[in-house]
Amino acid sequence: MSSDTLKKRKAKVIRSDGGTPETKRGRGEGDQSEEVEEKLRQGCVHFITLKKLNRLAHMRLKKGRDQTHEAKQKVDVLHLQLQNLLYEVMHLQKEIGKCLEFKSQHEEIELVSVDDFLRDAPAEISRPHLTKDDPHQLTLARLDWELEQRKRLAEQYKSSLCSKEKILKGIELKKEYLGSLQPGLHAIMQASLPVQEYLSMPFERVQKQAEVARHLPPPLYVLFVQANAYGQACDKNLSVSISGDVDEAKALSRPPEDSQDDESDSDAEEEQQNTKRRRATVGVQLDDKRKEMLKRHPLSLCIDLKCKDGSVLHLFFYYLMNLNILTVKTKVSASADLSGAVSAGELLNSESLLNCLYASDHGQETPNPANRYQFDKVGIITFADYVSQLGHPYNWVQCLGGLQFSSDRPQAEGACSSLSASHMEATMKLLRGRLQSRLALHKQFGSLEHSIVPVSSECQHLFPAKVVSRLARWTMMSHQDFLELHFVQHVAKAGLVKETDLFFMAIVERGTARLQAAVVLNPRYPEITPLFSLSLLWKGERSGRSDDNLRAMESEVNVFRSELQGPRPGLQLLTNQIQRLCVCLDVYLETESQVCDGSEGPREFPREKMCLRTARGPNRLKPFKYNHPQGFFSHR
Amino acid sequence: MSVFSQSFSPCGRFLAAGNNYGEIAIFSLSAALSPDATDLSQKPILTFTAHEGPVFALLSTDTHLLSAGNGEISAWSWVELTKRSTKAVWTRRPNYKSSLEIPEINAMIINPKDNSLIVGGGDNNIHIMDMETGTFKSVLQGHTDYIHCLALKEREGEILSGGEDGAVRIWDSRTRQAVHCIEVFKYEECARPQFGKWISCLATDSDWMRKLLVFLSWGGPDESQFHHNIFAVGEGPHVSHCLLGGSVKAQIPCTSPSLNTLALNLSSTEHRVMTAAGSSDKIDVFTNFSYRAFSLSF
Repeated sequence: MSSDTLKKRKAKVIRSDGGTPETKRGRGEGDQSEEVEEKLRQGCVHFITLKKLNRLAHMRLKKGRDQTHEAKQKVDVLHLQLQNLLYEVMHLQKEIGKCLEFKSQHEEIELVSVDDFLRDAPAEISRPHLTKDDPHQLTLARLDWELEQRKRLAEQYKSSLCSKEKILKGIELKKEYLGSLQPGLHAIMQASLPVQEYLSMPFERVQKQAEVARHLPPPLYVLFVQANAYGQACDKNLSVSISGDVDEAKALSRPPEDSQDDESDSDAEEEQQNTKRRRATVGVQLDDKRKEMLKRHPLSLCIDLKCKDGSVLHLFFYYLMNLNILTVKTKVSASADLSGAVSAGELLNSESLLNCLYASDHGQETPNPANRYQFDKVGIITFADYVSQLGHPYNWVQCLGGLQFSSDRPQAEGACSSLSASHMEATMKLLRGRLQSRLALHKQFGSLEHSIVPVSSECQHLFPAKVVSRLARWTMMSHQDFLELHFVQHVAKAGLVKETDLFFMAIVERGTARLQAAVVLNPRYPEITPLFSLSLLWKGERSGRSDDNLRAMESEVNVFRSELQGPRPGLQLLTNQIQRLCVCLDVYLETESQVCDGSEGPREFPREKMCLRTARGPNRLKPFKYNHPQGFFSHR
Repeated sequence: MSVFSQSFSPCGRFLAAGNNYGEIAIFSLSAALSPDATDLSQKPILTFTAHEGPVFALLSTDTHLLSAGNGEISAWSWVELTKRSTKAVWTRRPNYKSSLEIPEINAMIINPKDNSLIVGGGDNNIHIMDMETGTFKSVLQGHTDYIHCLALKEREGEILSGGEDGAVRIWDSRTRQAVHCIEVFKYEECARPQFGKWISCLATDSDWMRKLLVFLSWGGPDESQFHHNIFAVGEGPHVSHCLLGGSVKAQIPCTSPSLNTLALNLSSTEHRVMTAAGSSDKIDVFTNFSYRAFSLSF
């Protein structure tokens, strides 16, 4: 407004100024100088008022501005305050929010339920009168209670830790103590060994054996148990021991068993491939496979049978794992020196010692029919090749180990101990009998080779006092040699001769007469009588086939086992047979001379034997039967 | 085993054989000779133990089989035997003096005239038993060693006996006295010193014109006469066909190494065979006298 006024004034001034100049000019210079001065004074006054106005305007402006500024400032201050407050408010709100969100740890603590709390806590903590109404107090009380409980439990924990420590220490001590006992006990056990031996109660040895026995394969285990049981119960002279590598056995029982079929299938493939490339190694592979198939279990059983005279039969039993059969090897430690007899070489040969323990049990072939298929895979033709190395798989050995294979009798396979038990006694008796008979024969052979027929005192009554014919020679023959003899063909034809038998030749001589006797000795002697076949060389050759009297002599020697076997167990059989043969030859030769009449001169063999009749019957047999104690010969 | 005696049944269809174990086996000839004979038909239909000692003599009457064992004679009914019943009808023992050893009976013959059984054996005597009553009527003594064989000359009623002592004695059956005694070995042409003097068997021909036939045993214990041929068996494994003069016409091989007994089945027409047996269990059957047809086995 002022400006407007100023502008109006200015406009006025200007118009007036404008006007003035014009008027100034117009008036001329007389008046002109007073108007000019008046106008100049007016103008100056105007200028001064103008300045004043300007000044006033400025001052008014300034004042306005100051006022505004002040107001502004106030407003700013207030604004700031507002801001501050707002900020504070916000802050407080945040704080409130935080406070509200704040989860006190006490809420994480699982407190017992209110009821439990009210029930369990003691009154000074629970302060029910306070806490009933006030949840805050309640919570506090609960927390207190919680704290107290925890303190209590912490105490308990500490105390139980302590006691545990103590107990652990105690255990340590005891362990040390026990540990120290072990060597002491061991020392005692060692010291007690001689006592055990003395009392024949070998506990420690038995325990050790039982320990090792745990690793035996089932058939050997059955055998071990049964043999031990039999030894303890019936037979004090039987002892069982286990030998072999226990660690290997343990190793065997652990790893997974690759089935035989997988191996062999892959092997078959390999083989097919390899034949194209490298022929030379197929044989080696086959060899390895064979070895693998015929592998023995590392543990073996040794059973020792002691006989009364001190000789021992050692039987070593092995188990062939892949073939599932048991084999046996034998060894004889005789009490007497066995080097005497040449002909007895075969008797105690470990290969053939246990031949035919039961009839026709040769032990050359494996009794397990399944093995046939296994053998075909690796090209083993017959087990007999490996028998000398691996032992004999006799049927009775399988029975002792509880293994029964389907041959004639269809029965389930498996190691059953009842089978073993039923066979044990019989087999042990047979084994012992076999050993004794072989040893007896050995001794007898030694004597026979020196041309002495050993007749024991119990059997003297079977023969007359004087026997002139003497045994000139006693030798062993082979099966081939035996079959070549012409006078034994009837025996061979009758099927009484087997390859497993032992063959001997006895030559009995008297004067010019020579009697050859071929003897077939069955391995089961003395259960089976030795068979004699005779051939006489005296003024021509006669044999049991051509001469009835020689036939009668053969029957006299072969048939009358019950007379000749002597006292049980009949080990005198062979020697008695030979002695009887000599006696019969005596009778034959002495009575034969009667055929020719006396005109030829003195008889070669004078009659010394007492005979009632020298001939009987249509075929005029000689009297071969000796009667005791009268001492004469008669016919049967 | 040695087979010592044989006898055919009265009907001719069965053969009885006795061996040294005292067993008697009955074979069915009709089964063995039939066209569809198998191995089984060559086995006996019945085997039983008749005596303790060897059965050295077998004799067939019309109804019975007589067998001689160690000092005893048993009779068996043929009918019962074919029905496989082995019960003896009777058993009789001659009276023996010595008890130390029971003598065997080596030969038996029947005298049909007075129905008596004549036996001779190890006690050097001949015993005569009446078949009806069973008593031993008389004893003929004279031999110094045991009697091998007996023969009968029916017409004259004479008993001939040959023994180990080499003598052939002729006895009169009625008077029971020795009529002759021929010691054959004393005749040079008959003597065979390397074989021995014992007489193993005798056979007679009823024709009074014929002479007595005597055979030394050149190891041979039996012979038979048939149609003027003489078949002899002995130590060798063959049946010899001989002529009356003593020459050997043929020798037919047999299975046994030496033969003890020879028998001819005269009582049957369809089973007319000759059988020979000895020191084995095989009895050879000859349907044709020239060769062995088959063997029965004891």
